[in-house]
Amino acid sequence: MTAVSRDGQRSTTSVSAPPSDARGPVDWVAALTGGGPEQAAALRELHALMLRAAAHQVWRMRQALPDPSPSAVEVIVNQAADEAMTALLAKLHTFEGRSRFTTWAFKFAILQAATEVRRLQWQHREVELRDLDVPSSPRHEDPDLYAEGNDLAAAVAAAMRGVLTPYQRRIAIALLVDGVPIDVLADRLGTNRGALYKTLHDLRVRLRAELTANGYLAVHPATPPDPVPSHDTSRISPTPTAGTP
Amino acid sequence: MSTTPRPDPAALTPRNVSALLQDTTPWLSCDECFERMDTYAEALVHDPTYRDEAMAAHLRGCAACDEEAESLLQLLDRP
Ligand SMILES: [Zn+2]
Repeated sequence: MTAVSRDGQRSTTSVSAPPSDARGPVDWVAALTGGGPEQAAALRELHALMLRAAAHQVWRMRQALPDPSPSAVEVIVNQAADEAMTALLAKLHTFEGRSRFTTWAFKFAILQAATEVRRLQWQHREVELRDLDVPSSPRHEDPDLYAEGNDLAAAVAAAMRGVLTPYQRRIAIALLVDGVPIDVLADRLGTNRGALYKTLHDLRVRLRAELTANGYLAVHPATPPDPVPSHDTSRISPTPTAGTP
Repeated sequence: MSTTPRPDPAALTPRNVSALLQDTTPWLSCDECFERMDTYAEALVHDPTYRDEAMAAHLRGCAACDEEAESLLQLLDRP
């Protein structure tokens, strides 16, 4: 059992605090909502946690930043930490103690920082919503990448034309071909990550059904799936049964 | 003008094909992924063989959530 229980006996003394929460209060929720000096101290500790996780995230993605200078990074980290703290405090009532509080807190800062880095990365880039037969702009082209067209790729393109709506094709191409980050695309389209991921999931289901019907995918995918082309090192891989070299 | 021939715009790379055909079932939304991310990461740190099929499917199919989950795992691994 975890020591922190949202609905548990907060006023009683916990027998032990989880190791990673050693720096903070035993019961974070009580401390953060209780008022007085204990609340002020908890808020400071929480902000330090947010800064740590945001810095970790920005560091991981620093190559994507238009300006990776220490001063620019510091601004991003501080802003992400502040915004993550606001988001966390608004959701504090949902913490159920299923993980350590610190782990729960970290994810807010990671999400905020990652979203901000991706936003900055694409800040001055246009997002194309092109259909399958519309070329990408020259900066995206790498002719070498297209040299190994195969039957499966052609079948996928045909299935995209046959079973996807134009909107689904454009979303699929933006996210999976042109590499637009999902939250950047969501922001430009005035929607959210969840809605775009649902679109992506639905179109993948349609494509897989079509490719399965056409004999390109196994009816019951093997676990784990075999890679499509032997040289592709991507972690994502369907299970072709026909049309691949 | 460059003489480099333009690729067939409809041509998909092997990586594109893999991404398009990724099996993302069982369904899990980005919101549910975020909700589970802390318990998922702790379970994985505790037991590297831990499996949550829906989380795994989502992370294979959602690059943003995957980056964030990897980051959380890395953060927990290096306290
Ligand atoms: Zn997601």
